[in-house]
Amino acid sequence: MSRMNRRDFLLNSGAATALLAATPGAAFSQVVGGGGGFSDYRALVCVFLHGGNDSFNMIVPRSDAEYNAYAAARQNLAIAQTDLLALTPAIPDVVDYGLHPSMAGLRGLFNSGSAAIVNNVGPLIEPTTKDQYFNGSTLLPPQLFSHNDMQDQWQTLKGVGQSATGWAGRMADLIRTSVANQLMATNASLFGANPFQSADETFAYVMGPTGPVPYVGFEPDPINLAQRDAFRAVIESRYNTVYERGFAAVQKRAIDAVDTVTGAISDPSLPAINTVFPQSPLGTQLNTVARLINARDLLQMQRQVFFVGIGGFDSHDNQNQDQPGLLGGISDGLTAFYDAMVELGVSDSVTAFTQSDFGRTLTSNGDGTDHAWGGNQIVVGDAVLGQRLYGEYPVLQIGAEQDVGGGRMIPTTSADQYSATLARWFGIDDTDLVVVAPNINNFAARDLGFML
Amino acid sequence: MNQASFGATEAEASRLMSMGFEAWIDEQLLQPASVQLPHVRSIPRPQFPFELQPDRVDIWFRNALHANDQLRQRVAFALSEVMVVSQLGALQNAPYGLADYYDMLAENAFANYRDLIEDVTLHPTMGVYLSMLGNERPNPDLNIRPDENYARELMQLFSIGLVELNNDGSPKLDGQNQPISTYDQAVIEGFAHIYTGWTYAGSPTFQTARQTELNQVVPMQLYPNFHDTGAKTVLNDVVIPAGQSGDQDLADALDNIFDHPNVGPFIAIRLIQRLVTSNPSPAYVERIASVFNNNGNGIRGDLGAVVKAILLDPEARPDLPMEIDGKLKEPLLRVTQLWRAYDAVSNSGRYPLVASYILFGQGPLQASHVFNFFSPFFAPPGEIRDASLVAPELQIATEFMGTQFTNFMFFQCFALNQTNTQLDDDDIYIDFSEEMSVAADVDALIDMVADKLLAGNISDPLRQEIAGMLALIPLQETALRAAETIYFVATSPEFAYQL
Repeated sequence: MSRMNRRDFLLNSGAATALLAATPGAAFSQVVGGGGGFSDYRALVCVFLHGGNDSFNMIVPRSDAEYNAYAAARQNLAIAQTDLLALTPAIPDVVDYGLHPSMAGLRGLFNSGSAAIVNNVGPLIEPTTKDQYFNGSTLLPPQLFSHNDMQDQWQTLKGVGQSATGWAGRMADLIRTSVANQLMATNASLFGANPFQSADETFAYVMGPTGPVPYVGFEPDPINLAQRDAFRAVIESRYNTVYERGFAAVQKRAIDAVDTVTGAISDPSLPAINTVFPQSPLGTQLNTVARLINARDLLQMQRQVFFVGIGGFDSHDNQNQDQPGLLGGISDGLTAFYDAMVELGVSDSVTAFTQSDFGRTLTSNGDGTDHAWGGNQIVVGDAVLGQRLYGEYPVLQIGAEQDVGGGRMIPTTSADQYSATLARWFGIDDTDLVVVAPNINNFAARDLGFML
Repeated sequence: MNQASFGATEAEASRLMSMGFEAWIDEQLLQPASVQLPHVRSIPRPQFPFELQPDRVDIWFRNALHANDQLRQRVAFALSEVMVVSQLGALQNAPYGLADYYDMLAENAFANYRDLIEDVTLHPTMGVYLSMLGNERPNPDLNIRPDENYARELMQLFSIGLVELNNDGSPKLDGQNQPISTYDQAVIEGFAHIYTGWTYAGSPTFQTARQTELNQVVPMQLYPNFHDTGAKTVLNDVVIPAGQSGDQDLADALDNIFDHPNVGPFIAIRLIQRLVTSNPSPAYVERIASVFNNNGNGIRGDLGAVVKAILLDPEARPDLPMEIDGKLKEPLLRVTQLWRAYDAVSNSGRYPLVASYILFGQGPLQASHVFNFFSPFFAPPGEIRDASLVAPELQIATEFMGTQFTNFMFFQCFALNQTNTQLDDDDIYIDFSEEMSVAADVDALIDMVADKLLAGNISDPLRQEIAGMLALIPLQETALRAAETIYFVATSPEFAYQL
């Protein structure tokens, strides 16, 4: 913005001293009582693929009969059979599957047991067949196929309810007394405010893609400290409107957290992370998550849920041109993140997983696809029972059993089941799973088995 | 004044006071649109078209800060947050199209909504953004069916929304007390078939159409061979018959949407939220929706009448404001308000702040998706959600963006001001020389800033904290004292609030 030294100007002295990092000793002494309910550290990292990932091009059947059905449905959008990257499951299936050719890293993770795939998962309220869909005999999530509504369903699992909280938010509320020692909120977002982490009793901490932003002008020298105190006094004043109070509350959370968190992640006692992350929005965010996880002990964290996000998946057109970059980006980002977790010795404590608005139509609109329903998701980490595909992969044929039109697949596994499996690993009691995943009791399996 | 412009200036505020609000609005309604395209075209064409995006943003700021058609520009900005297109994505290389789209919104700001949605629908910028451009009739042999993108979003986001509304904006409920969907997948497919056959005007053939500098600013053209001629079912079980021309299909389809009773309350809520308050009462929505439905002369969709009614409504100027009246200001509007109040300029005369969306979380035609920078339904946890209220702008007032904004104001006040002799040509700086002339007098200084930024209404705690800071700064440091005062006001919750 300007090369001028603001601090010099502020002090009008010309005797600038280096900016002092927050001193961890001071910040970390403010431990509140209680807590200590977990004996270990666990973190979930939600990678949200905004726009609706065309995941039937991400995981594709390789066996001839199934591939041919796929190719006939997808026409000019089909990936060539020989280009698919073969998956070698621990327990061979009758059908072979492959990954999109841009996902070599993910193939490596899968084949070595550190990643799993969950097939055709999506928002459902109860198991639904095609007949039931058309005769209206089951409850369905409202506004199927709409971006924001389906994002909301994935993130809140609210079904036909009115809940405004997300399933990560409800988890944070459930465990809040057990993690009262944590110096940072259980939920942290690197991709803005989101329904997923919205809660009744706790707040998600929203930071930037590279972490919290320190305030300029609040550095520890007399006038700047006075400035910080005055700024804090202003935001802590009483206000007459809900809007000012809401605005001030966020500002207060920001100023309360920033020194502690930035001090912790830049603490010189922490091991360096040598893994090189891709220079991409996802790589940047996952790199920051790795740095925050690296500082977990300084921040006294026991349970964390991170939300990261990327966009661009709404491939209504130019799908063939755009898809390699999109899917390759997921693979490269998740692979680097996994490597960093191995480097930090926490690959069995940290689980990354994808969510997306919906899968996309098998049929083409010429050069792209439209909004659909079920899709395939990826789970990465060494707490994952990997090298396996979970759930039923649908027959990719127009008009087949799961197709409600144009190749829109009714999910065969519900987002509630997917989330509940992760929530149980995270440490949510079986009796509380219904709080996290309100429709879970409508499904036979409360746990899909992909977490150790 | 802040409801109807990009920020009050002393000159404009006193003019408004002397002529009265209604007369001021009437004058504004007649102001012709200040436009962007001629400016963007006046720049020598760079190697890559995206290099013109800073110039497009520049002319947006010039118009927002200096144009006489303040109300029109403000409504255009509001419309750009409803009928969203964005520089981020496929339109990065279409700066002319983006500028022209914005000009189209400005020109239609007080026109008829039916004309607006037709111009939006046929604009190639929207055509690219929501992929109606190049959308072709079905080809069953190749499993190709029409693209549903524009069909869905025109209804969901630009016109009627997802559920049936009463005229006061509340959802209609069925026998089970559930909201009633306005459309289903079959209706989306009906409209998707309507919107087939359109691409860049003047293309040699439909399939070889490519964007050019010229065709990105003229309405899309129908290529009849690529239009589906079957019958289509649209809203309220209306069937548009087979065999019509693409133009006729489009006219009938847009009429079908325009005539839906949701449009009045839907547009009323969107515009009230952008201009006046996040939580209008049902009665306020009903009054505005009724003006949309009939402007008093039997005309439906008169946006000028709607805007005037929104601003003159008693709820826009409550005698005894309640805690839910008003709204948060969008961060971009906080910036323009500061800049207008302090005559912000750069030495180059330009405002090429193309990183606006990164700095403030929003910028002109810079949303990250068609759902805008924030949702009209956003309800943060706490008392706002508990009371079933919303605060859309709070969605981007996160810890992160709040700190970014505070830091921006720090740079703006302490470094980017008229006393700085080392400014880059494009650095946008404010001028607080007036404040410096009274800077020794604590009350006079605070009052002056409060007059310019808070319409004179500064809270006691804010005044006290600023006075406390000024006590630490030597009297002769007039620039520092002025900067400190403006910084504290510009980052305060009360400045972020608009009644």
